[in-house]
Formats: sequence, C-alpha cells, structure tokens
Amino acid sequence: MNFGPVTGGPGGPTVFDPYTLPSDDNVNPYTFCVELKGSQWLLQKGKMIAYYGRIEFDGVGHGRFDRLLRTSFHSPLHAGDWVVAEGQGKMLLADRAYDVNSYDLDEGNLTIRAGNLLAYQPSLALKQSIVPGFLTLIGTGKFVAASNGPVVFMEPPLRVDPQALVGWADCPSPCHHYDHGYMSGVLGGIRSLTGIGGSSGEEHQFEFVGAGTVLLQSSEALMAERPVGTVGAEPGVPGAGAGHGGHGGQGPLGQLGVRMPGQLGDFQRRLGL
Amino acid sequence: MPFREINSKMVEAQIVPGQTLYSQRGAMLAYRGSVSFTPSITGGQGGVMGMIGRRVANEQTPLMAVEGSGTVMFGHGGHHVQVVNLTGETLYVEADRLLAFDGTLQQGTMFMGSQGGVMGMVRGQVTGQGLFTTTLKGHGSVAVMAHGGVIELPITPNRPVHVDPQAYVAHHGDVRNKLSTALGWRDMVGRGSGEAFQLELSGQGAVYVQASEEKL
Amino acid sequence: MLAVDLTGDAVKAKNGSMVAYDGQMAFKKMTGGGEGLRGMVTRRLTGEQMTVMEVQGHGTCFFADRASEINLVGLHGEKLYVESSNLLCTDAGLRTGTTFTGLRGGATGNGLFTTTVEGTGQAAIMSDGPAVVLRVSAQYPLSVDPGAYIAHTGDLRQSFQSGVTFRTLIGEGSGEAFQIRFEGEGLVYVQPSERNTVGGDI
Repeated sequence: MNFGPVTGGPGGPTVFDPYTLPSDDNVNPYTFCVELKGSQWLLQKGKMIAYYGRIEFDGVGHGRFDRLLRTSFHSPLHAGDWVVAEGQGKMLLADRAYDVNSYDLDEGNLTIRAGNLLAYQPSLALKQSIVPGFLTLIGTGKFVAASNGPVVFMEPPLRVDPQALVGWADCPSPCHHYDHGYMSGVLGGIRSLTGIGGSSGEEHQFEFVGAGTVLLQSSEALMAERPVGTVGAEPGVPGAGAGHGGHGGQGPLGQLGVRMPGQLGDFQRRLGL
Repeated sequence: MPFREINSKMVEAQIVPGQTLYSQRGAMLAYRGSVSFTPSITGGQGGVMGMIGRRVANEQTPLMAVEGSGTVMFGHGGHHVQVVNLTGETLYVEADRLLAFDGTLQQGTMFMGSQGGVMGMVRGQVTGQGLFTTTLKGHGSVAVMAHGGVIELPITPNRPVHVDPQAYVAHHGDVRNKLSTALGWRDMVGRGSGEAFQLELSGQGAVYVQASEEKL
Repeated sequence: MLAVDLTGDAVKAKNGSMVAYDGQMAFKKMTGGGEGLRGMVTRRLTGEQMTVMEVQGHGTCFFADRASEINLVGLHGEKLYVESSNLLCTDAGLRTGTTFTGLRGGATGNGLFTTTVEGTGQAAIMSDGPAVVLRVSAQYPLSVDPGAYIAHTGDLRQSFQSGVTFRTLIGEGSGEAFQIRFEGEGLVYVQPSERNTVGGDI
C-alpha cells in the first residue's frame, strides 16, 4: 500500500519548534510567523492561530496603549477589530487558509482593503482611506496581508474589477469607470432598468492611472468584513453620515436605483451611500 | 490565443482585434487596453451558441464576449483554474465550469442521455447540473474552474476510471461514459442518495477530477 | 487529494470521500461496532453519524473532501488524537477509538470526544490549508486557537488558557479569549485558518 498526496501537503511534514520557526517570515504560503522580542505588533482579531512564549493580547483602546494608538492607529472605526500583541515569543498568523504575505514599506504608503490586512508593526501608521472600506498604511515597517489566491502586482494603466482589488501603493486614488457602451442607448437603458438581456457583470471597474503598483487577488469573492460604523457626517467627507438612505452618489446607475454587479455593494449598504 | 497561468487561480489572455473570446460573465478581474465586454445572449455561433447561452442563462451563469485589443485577467470565486489546450479533440465540460475559452472553438451541447442511456437524466438529478453538457472542439484553449485542486487522470482502453459524479470536472478524448450503480455502491459510499452513482469513463483520453465533492 | 495505491490490501476512509479510482475496488460500509470503530461512527452526541467505509482492491483510489488539504501522519506505535471530522483515511491495520476530552469541549460544545488512531501505519488528516506541525517540549509549551487545532500526537496535557485579557475601546468583543495550552512532549497540528473558531477571539 502506498499513500501519496496528489496536490499540496508537505512531502514529509516539517516539524517546527521555537528555534526553527522563521522570524517575521512565512512558514508556508498560508501561515506567517511573527517574532516578538519585547516589541509590539497590531493584529486583527481572530488571526492568531498559535504561539510559543509569553505573549499578551490586549484590545486596542485599552489604556496602556494610548501612546501607541496616538502614533500608529488612526482608525477609530476599526478599533474593535484590532488587538495589540506584546511580549516574548513567536506567534503564527493565518486567515481562512488564504494566501498570506508580508510587505515592507520604506517611507512609503499603501492602501489596502480593510478585510485583507492581518497585522502590522507599530512603526507604521494606520489610517482610514478616503475610499470607504480601505485602510492606508504610512511610514516604514512590515505588515502582513491575506488574499484569496496569491497577490498579483500590476502597473497602471489598468482597470480592475472592484472585487478583485486588494490595494494599491503610491497611486492616486482609483476612479470609477463605467462601460459607456453598456449604458448608452435604448437597449442599454432597458437593460440597466430591467436586467433583461443580462449584464456582462463588467460595466463598472476601478481605473488606475499614473505611477504606482496595483495589487490584485485572483478571486472575486470578497473577504468577510466586520461592520465598523461610519465616519462622522461632515460636509465633504465621502461616505459620511449613515442612514440618510437612498442610492445617491452612485453615478447614473445608482440614480436608477439599480445595483449593478461590481458596485461597492457592502460598503454601500454599510455606509448608507 | 493561449491562456497564461499567472497562478493556480488566475489566467491572463491576450485579446487581439478580430478574435473573440468568451468568458463567464463577471469573471474579469482586470484589464489593460481597449477591451469590450458584451453580454452574449444569442452568442457568436448562431443556434448552437444560442442554445448554450439560453441554457446557461437559466442557470445564472451567462457568458460574455470579450473583444478588442489588450490584456485581460480572469478568475472567479477563488476557484482553481485548469487550462486545457485542445488540439482537435473535443472537451466535455459543464457550462458553469467554463471560465473562458477561445471563440474559435466550435461550441456545441450534448445531451448526456444520448450516450449513456439513463445517464443524462440521472446525472442531472445527481449533481443538480443540467442534462446538457457543453462541448468545445477544435484548436484552442479553455480555462475550466474547479473547487479545490484538479488532477488529470489518463484513461486508457484497458484501464477505465471511475469518478464520483460530483467530483467530475471535464473530460476529453474518445471516451464513453456510463453511469453505474455498482452493487452495494449506493449503501456503501453514498452519503445520501446523491452519491449512489459512479461515473465510469472508458476509452482513450483524460478526465479532470477536483479535490472536492462540491459543485461550483 | 490523496492517492492510495492498493495491492489487495485495504484502507478505512471517511464515507463519501472517494472521488475517483481505477482498477478494481470493493467498498464496504462499516457501521457501529467492532474494534473501537463504534467510537468513530457514533461519537457525535448530536446523533449525526460519521460513517466509515473500507476500501479494498487493486489499483489507485483517490480521496478528497471539501477541497481540504491533506496531511499524512506516519504512526509507529504512538497515538494520534484527531477530530473525527478531520480524519480522512487510515491504513486498515490502525486501530481507531474515542477518548473523552471534556476539558476542551467544556466551553466550545465541540470536541467532547476525540478520535484516536493507534498502531503502525499511515493516517491522512484534513485541514483547511496545509497544516503546520509544532513541537511541544517541556520548556516550550504551546498555545493554540481552538479553531486552528486539528490533531496532536505524543504525551500532551491540554488545558484551557483564559489568562488572555481582551478589552476594547467600545466594549465590542470584550471578555476573555480562550486558547488551548499544550504541555508535555509531542507534536501539535494546526491549520492556517480560524474558520471554526469557537473559543478564541484573538
């Protein structure tokens, strides 16, 4: 009798202990090991799968971390989703068996879908992006992000399906691109109003131009996101002011009251756009 | 135009003027250049295509025609993507597993029942998939989706392969399929009534099997 | 996906996990009873039955379940503890049984019973993503998220660790987070997923 794995699986399983686990590197494509030497990392809740050593986990917002938050955490809406890990040891991070990768920023900035970010060093500052549902990391340091399938890096100009977008670095914000041909004309109008004739599902993309890098994941299945509330209702703040309802501000299709595939969907509902 | 596999879940295709590529609607991840995505109701190849289009439309996995000039990346739902390059033979595949394929391939539908007696009817019941299976024939590439990894099992005349109908993805070559209800199989292996059948493939060719009993 | 080449011998496998085979195979259903199998079969308190089949024949048999990753564990007389839903396939010669692990189940409502596999041979266990194997030794205890735990071997003591403080600004999710703490000598298999997390919020 002969057992053999056909796909995946380690040939002969490697056994890790605190010495052989990598320091701030991937154990396998789906697991990342962070070493703490008295230092701190911020991580999203539920992403720690195991640890060696003495590590304490505290919710952000707990008094001890006031100073840390002042420098590294500027996203009050997401405060409930984050914990601070502090101590000595090695911990493993993973997220729903999705691909996990670390990225180094050097005096840079990167904007990432909130659900994809797993952990980051406090030397980075986390801020909410103007684009709802996205977070921006600024500064120098390492962060860990998950993606459904390996992340693919692309250079602009590029149009991206909103659901395949993981994030972007150094680019100006993406803008919406609507397929003009699809919406124009009588047939287009009927289609968008009634759905008769079907949509190609690709009438709306995010368009990137200029210098920078766009990060894509191979799947259109969005990572689950926790509701995080809304930003305050101020004039000029996109996505501000929950609960005024309606479909304003979604472009011509939104005004028709038709939710096209690929629109912001959950963000839209969550933020009351 | 062959697909370039970027990773196990994403493929890239070059679109050149004058050539059409069909893909499942909503499967475009990103593109560069001037490319149009048109819902394909009646399809490119007359009646046959229309048949696929209609059939598929009922299952809410309609196709779109991709034309223009540029580069398009396809992927869907985090499913694994298997690229099959056809050199004249026929690929049999469930329409909702088609991610994208060359427009030059000759499309058709086959009533599974015509080949294996009760096969078609039973298969439809078993998997919840239709009675029809899409066929693609000619020279070109097809990107097929599967839940979990895919393995290709060769079928040779004296070595038939038995497959769980729900793990079956596609097959090509000169292959006869037969639904067998091997004695005891129903009780032994089936979790419910569904898995009481096994699909026997014999002849010369290959079958693609996914590492899961889940449909897409 | 797991490929098993059989030359007249047999394996035990989770019911319905066969996805393809070539050659000649005979499938035999094994239900409640006999050689400790009962445990594996009827361990669920909910009344849901896990059934096991025995596959015997000549040829290659392919097993898979819900696109899970498959990890092979070679046993040389020691005992493997695994959640029964994570056990895909074993050599027919391995003994399977059940142990009561009330502690861990206490809070989660899950895993009150764990399947044990004992003997010499190979077992295939499933995980959501490839498992990482972590060594536990006297000076290196290990804490694991209950949702990421799949299996362990060796002489390990499990305990609930609730010394993890968790407080938040807005009080959401506040409370204690639980981890399983392993002490002793052995190996722990964890999966890169917290999909089934019931006790941990970290």
